[in-house]
Amino acid sequence: MTPRPWLHGFLDLCLLAMLRDQPDYGYGLAQRLAAAGVADIPGGTLYPALLRLEQQGLASPSWAPSESGPRRKYYAITPAGLDTLHAQAEEWRGFRDGVDSLIGERVR
Amino acid sequence: MTALTVAGLSAREVGRRRTALLLVISLPLWFYLVRRDLTGQSTRMLTLGIAWAVSTLTLFVVNAARGVDPRLRLSGASVAGIIGGRLIAMSGFGLLLAGGYLILVGVDQDIDRFWAIGLMMGITALIAAPFGSLVGALLPRELEGALALLSVCAVQMLADPAGTIAKFMPFWSAREIGTYAVDGGGTDLLWRGLAHAGAVWLLCTGGTLAVFAYRLRLARYPEPVLERA
Amino acid sequence: MSDWPLRFEAELVRLGVQPERARQLGAETTAQAGEHAADPDRFFGPAHLYARHLVAELQSPTAAVPSLPGPVMLRLAGVSKRYRRREVFSGVDLTVRGGEVAAIVGANGCGKSTLLRICAGLTRPTGGDIRRARRVGFVPQDGGTAGWLTAEEHFTLFGAAAGMAPRKARSTGTHLASRLAWRPGHRQPVQELSGGTRQKLNLVLGELHGPDLLLLDEPYQGFDQGSYLDFWRQVREWRDAGRAVVVVTHLLHELENVDHVLDLGAHGGGDR
Repeated sequence: MTPRPWLHGFLDLCLLAMLRDQPDYGYGLAQRLAAAGVADIPGGTLYPALLRLEQQGLASPSWAPSESGPRRKYYAITPAGLDTLHAQAEEWRGFRDGVDSLIGERVR
Repeated sequence: MTALTVAGLSAREVGRRRTALLLVISLPLWFYLVRRDLTGQSTRMLTLGIAWAVSTLTLFVVNAARGVDPRLRLSGASVAGIIGGRLIAMSGFGLLLAGGYLILVGVDQDIDRFWAIGLMMGITALIAAPFGSLVGALLPRELEGALALLSVCAVQMLADPAGTIAKFMPFWSAREIGTYAVDGGGTDLLWRGLAHAGAVWLLCTGGTLAVFAYRLRLARYPEPVLERA
Repeated sequence: MSDWPLRFEAELVRLGVQPERARQLGAETTAQAGEHAADPDRFFGPAHLYARHLVAELQSPTAAVPSLPGPVMLRLAGVSKRYRRREVFSGVDLTVRGGEVAAIVGANGCGKSTLLRICAGLTRPTGGDIRRARRVGFVPQDGGTAGWLTAEEHFTLFGAAAGMAPRKARSTGTHLASRLAWRPGHRQPVQELSGGTRQKLNLVLGELHGPDLLLLDEPYQGFDQGSYLDFWRQVREWRDAGRAVVVVTHLLHELENVDHVLDLGAHGGGDR
């Protein structure tokens, strides 16, 4: 598991990437993050990040009913979100390559 | 604009110091009551009491604002706005105090030139505000300032009115105009008093502005050259 | 059903969130805990702490891309100060741009406050070159207020100094106060306020005229834990809004929040 401080800078990137693949709601995103082995993210980190994406127009919300329990807030990526995703993905690659070169092990 | 706001808020500030205000307002009364039987003596003492009261209160107001003034300057206020506003407020207070006591004298004493008594008290109040402010500007600590004011008022009371020392006292004009009002002297007394009062007022107001202009001066730094990272 | 959502909403409102928006966030947050079939208290922790956290998160810009530093707001080059024969410091260099926070640290008596006053223009340096943005806000360690005036009257007074109309100065002051989770009383003279609340007033007064550069001299004296967090959140907000902040501090664990550290040390001088 990635320690939280590391994830913090790239959480938005991860969320946007997942939303690009398909719209999702909070719980689903948490599951996908955990399944990808990135992080077991606490709700207190996840939901504020989602709200922030919404507030900045990077993700647009919509409400959908669920089979069980209350309706859910689904998020879809916006064009602005896609732009940010591309920019941040670029940054991430640069960062990752830099770290890799430092620890002397290239990703295959 | 700034001056009027400062004046209004200084007035409110003074109004809230209930106990101090009560003592300051009553102080001239004791001066008056001691020689109430002698018209000239009692009105002159009363006037000196007003002078002392107004100048001391101004001293305390000036000192209380010591922490605020530099910050007001940094926010953009001018020295004239800050100090002028405070002087307006304290002069207004002094005139009110003088007006109140003038009514008392009018009821209690029988005076020919009553208007001249009013002139004496009003002018003294107007001098007392910048005088207290100047002392406050020169002596930053309240105790020192209060003692200096006490000394000046004591010398003023005890000095031979015809002597040289008395003429260098800030409230000498009160004696001259008072003599004209009560003892029926010539108008030259009146003019001498007015001239002395005008000179002292100018000296104190100019002095207090000059000291504060120096004390509240801000270093002017050039703005950084515009450059981006 | 617990009263967690209610306490959460109340804290949001106290932090300056519109009531309508707070209700909405309260409902959503409850629903989010519901997605995980968890109790909000268990899931998000204490209501007021999560409210603070959420507000801070929503106000910080979106992650990884660090915003570019802005124009230079303050530049000190070889600045020195001596009182008679005693040298306080010499050779101090520091550059702070818009969007940056600089901390001045060092032992007691090494001249931290003097340097800040020099930056403000209240004290003259003995030597060196200083360039500085024109609009500057200065918050002293203590004092700097008139004891017999109320907080609102202070807003009017400082607003007038900056050429603001009284009504605008008051509403601006009240708004800035709410961001420090403080609601000024109408009648209470400042001398009756607690030390921490007085410092909040000081902060608001330093910011009232919208300065480009904020100079803060250990402004959190008397703050409780919550106010202390509010303060640093506010510093980050200023930074994110493109302002430059210089703060004198002795709290080393806050230094990770700042962009520059100037250690005046025992001999003075030098950017770390």
